[in-house]
Amino acid sequence: MEMETETQKPFQVDMGNLLAFNPFHNFPSLPTSRDELVKECIQEGTKLVQAIADSIFNLPSTEDADGPLVKLPTPTTKLPREKHLPKPKPPTKWEEFAKKKGIKKRKKDKVVWDEQTGTWKRRFGYDRVNDDKDIPIIEAKMTDEPGVDPFAKRQDDKKKRVEKQEKNHLQNLKQAAKIGALPSHVQLAATALPITGTQAPPKKVTKDELGNVAGMAATSTASGGKFDRKLPGEKPAKKQGKHRKFLPVVEGLGIGSREKEQTENVLNKLISKHSHEILNAVTMYNVKKEKKARNKRNQEGKSSSATNKLKPKKQLHKKNGKKGPGSSKKGKAK
Amino acid sequence: MRPLDEKETTAVFEKIFKFTGNNLKNIVENPSHEGPDKEPGRYCFRLHKNKVYYVSDSLVKRATNVARTKLASIGTCVGRFTHGGNFHLTIECLNLLAANAKHKVWLKPTSEMSFLYANHVLKGGLGRITESIAPGDGVVVFSMSDLPLGFGVAAKSTQDCRKLDPNAIVVLHQADIGEYLRMENQHEQIIEE
Repeated sequence: MEMETETQKPFQVDMGNLLAFNPFHNFPSLPTSRDELVKECIQEGTKLVQAIADSIFNLPSTEDADGPLVKLPTPTTKLPREKHLPKPKPPTKWEEFAKKKGIKKRKKDKVVWDEQTGTWKRRFGYDRVNDDKDIPIIEAKMTDEPGVDPFAKRQDDKKKRVEKQEKNHLQNLKQAAKIGALPSHVQLAATALPITGTQAPPKKVTKDELGNVAGMAATSTASGGKFDRKLPGEKPAKKQGKHRKFLPVVEGLGIGSREKEQTENVLNKLISKHSHEILNAVTMYNVKKEKKARNKRNQEGKSSSATNKLKPKKQLHKKNGKKGPGSSKKGKAK
Repeated sequence: MRPLDEKETTAVFEKIFKFTGNNLKNIVENPSHEGPDKEPGRYCFRLHKNKVYYVSDSLVKRATNVARTKLASIGTCVGRFTHGGNFHLTIECLNLLAANAKHKVWLKPTSEMSFLYANHVLKGGLGRITESIAPGDGVVVFSMSDLPLGFGVAAKSTQDCRKLDPNAIVVLHQADIGEYLRMENQHEQIIEE
């Protein structure tokens, strides 16, 4: 079923890998240009994909909420392995020694009868047989040195044994690493282990970091990089050291002149920014009303005083000038 | 303790300007009669541990004798700068605002308690209101006996307030003197006077 070869569709389809190929394809005439070749290949590829799609729909399917589900058969084409086969690990020191001596591995029980507590206990690990905690008394021997705590010595010995085993383990790993046969789980942690001799892999330097370092280097001269000749395409240092400077807390008699000036500036800026708000609709109306009233008053009192003589005249002119175009506009609009 | 820089000064002044309008000039140029000097000094703004204080310059001079870490508070705390760099007014500045307020609202005695428990001012609780308030303006809230109770932001203009539902919000609450009791532990600084 998997390898179906028909006369009309001479495609080999491997459903397990969703793979199809045509072993009998021949170009009738070798295409001259690359574009034609690409075109031909895409055409042929479309046919192959169609063949896969056809055979998928031929497979028995089950209904699902998302649509029909098909179970693919096991793949028949054997694809090559991505990574090479792992190399055999070199024998450890103990394995070599055991081979020489003819020592064979014996199966041991995981649990052992503990006579002290009268229970079955693990051979190793937590709560094990002959645990230091369970031994209340150690009998003195003739060989014991006076002034040595036997309990502390027991603990110390254990620690030394563990350390020695750790050393041996690392030595064996080092040998394996030399050949390149480290087990994969060790390989991941190999940089942290003192076996490969190398430290952490060198980090890739990003563009930003490079820019920062270059900027720092460029400004690390006596003049702060001011008089250095710039390289072609060199940009100014990205990170300028920011030195914030504040006004003094107390200057002379209390508040300083610079601080006074600063507050004054800010205040004036703020007031001028909001000054247009004063002329809102209501006040505008009031201002206009006042102006009109003033004008009237001035017209009435025109002859009364000599000093007022000039002003009303001026304003009259202005008024006429203003009114003239206004009235004409109105007339036009009407 | 340090003077505000230009950016910070702008932030502080803009916030106070919303409440006082051009009366901000009075606050800045207010003469101080503190200290041993015969001539009146000035008041200035000082930043100390995120908080902005309104202090007379003679007090600043004397406060320089106190180590920065040991200085808890000086003068009147006007507000504080948030982590984001915004400036918030605190209730301690109420007296300053109330004396120079541009927009005011008086509360009926019945709704005073509600406001003092951090609720917004509703149309129903409104006793009086000044003219020409625009939405977004800073408003100082008084009791009918002219006791400043707190401040907030106008939600509606004065004109709109006339034909408003009694349950509609007129002033959005920002701070009230009830905070002195409710948030006693948060206000570490000693209440002045």
